[in-house]
Amino acid sequence: MATLSVRAFIPPLARRCLPRQSVRRYAVQAPGAPTLEIFSHQHKWMQKERAARNAGASRDVDYLRDEVASRLCERLLDINRHFPNVLDLGANACNIARMLTLPSLDSPDAGPRAQRVGKLTAADSSETLLYRDASLPFNSEIDVHRHVLSTSETLPYEANSFDAVLSSLSLHWINDLPSVLAQVNNILKPDSPFIGVMMGGDSLFELRTSLQLAELDRRGGVSTHTSPLADVRDVGGLLQRAGFNLLTVDVDDIVVDFPDTFSLMKDLQAMGESNAVISREKGGVQRDVLLAAEHIYRALHGNEDGSQPATFRMIYMIGWKPSPKQAKPLERGTGMFSIKDFLEKEGEKKRDGKE
Amino acid sequence: MPGRTRPIDRFAAAAAKCSKEGSAYGKCILADYNNVHKDKCVTEFLKLKECYIVGFGSSWIWTY
Repeated sequence: MATLSVRAFIPPLARRCLPRQSVRRYAVQAPGAPTLEIFSHQHKWMQKERAARNAGASRDVDYLRDEVASRLCERLLDINRHFPNVLDLGANACNIARMLTLPSLDSPDAGPRAQRVGKLTAADSSETLLYRDASLPFNSEIDVHRHVLSTSETLPYEANSFDAVLSSLSLHWINDLPSVLAQVNNILKPDSPFIGVMMGGDSLFELRTSLQLAELDRRGGVSTHTSPLADVRDVGGLLQRAGFNLLTVDVDDIVVDFPDTFSLMKDLQAMGESNAVISREKGGVQRDVLLAAEHIYRALHGNEDGSQPATFRMIYMIGWKPSPKQAKPLERGTGMFSIKDFLEKEGEKKRDGKE
Repeated sequence: MPGRTRPIDRFAAAAAKCSKEGSAYGKCILADYNNVHKDKCVTEFLKLKECYIVGFGSSWIWTY
């Protein structure tokens, strides 16, 4: 049934809100467990587009993403391989691509990290943010291809096509994390790593607690101002459920000091990381609450020099797609050597050496 | 945007001027922060808010 489409005449922002096809369908129960929708993709997309439109302000707040992307790249370089085809899932402003063009921190003279990487596909749902730095000089130093995803939860790639999948600071806005991780597992070649980092656990607990206390005092209840985040112990289970092998999960706290709460909030907004929880209270935070939160933050968490710390907890995860060739743990009881004896001997040696 | 002060910046500037009232309010909340209820520190907050409105200027619209 061919229908005449007027889609092309609708402005882009409104087009995003409309369903792709206006075809009637039968209402059917979706198979499997229904996904709980926590974050509004529409809203997140809009926040990122708006933030990236002001390129100057958006670049000013790249400090966190650049630092995390740099640490992620170091983890990639720990794997002694060449990666011809790499996907950067949720690339934001291609921070990973830029960090790959810099030399490694461990060996500053060895040339850019990008020597180890062939083609890099940077995928993100926000077009403006993705192309923000497309005209900067680093683009010529690495083979980066930008790809705008229509939704951040479906990956339109062939199975077994990538030698590594990276993801930096975007997984915390995904509703259906098990499904996305399973898709990542599917598009990876056998025996290839997925290296991701997401905001998790106690990130921004200072802001969370002071807003809660402020709302309790001013309004007598709390509403959602910060996202629910995955915890370290959830991440291992998630990776395992998605079918990854040889998991490594570790945590890294980055504490940034801000002059006041408003600077923190402004920076979060410029990053496009404002609240996008569906059940959030629409509209901004009440001024009463904002005023109260600022002073509670200062009293509860403030440093002695008057600045206010904000903790970002990064959860790094590495998982490998299973392959028959992969190294496997030996069976129980086949060990020929006791680690206990070894450690005791080493301890004795050290003690003798000191005395 | 150049040449335009965002409301949040004016807000922050006014907030910085009321550190005395602010710390009094903060201390009141922290005194027993496991048991905060509505209007627990209303007197301290009203003092803070008064100082604030003075600092922010006449165009301040307080929204509830």
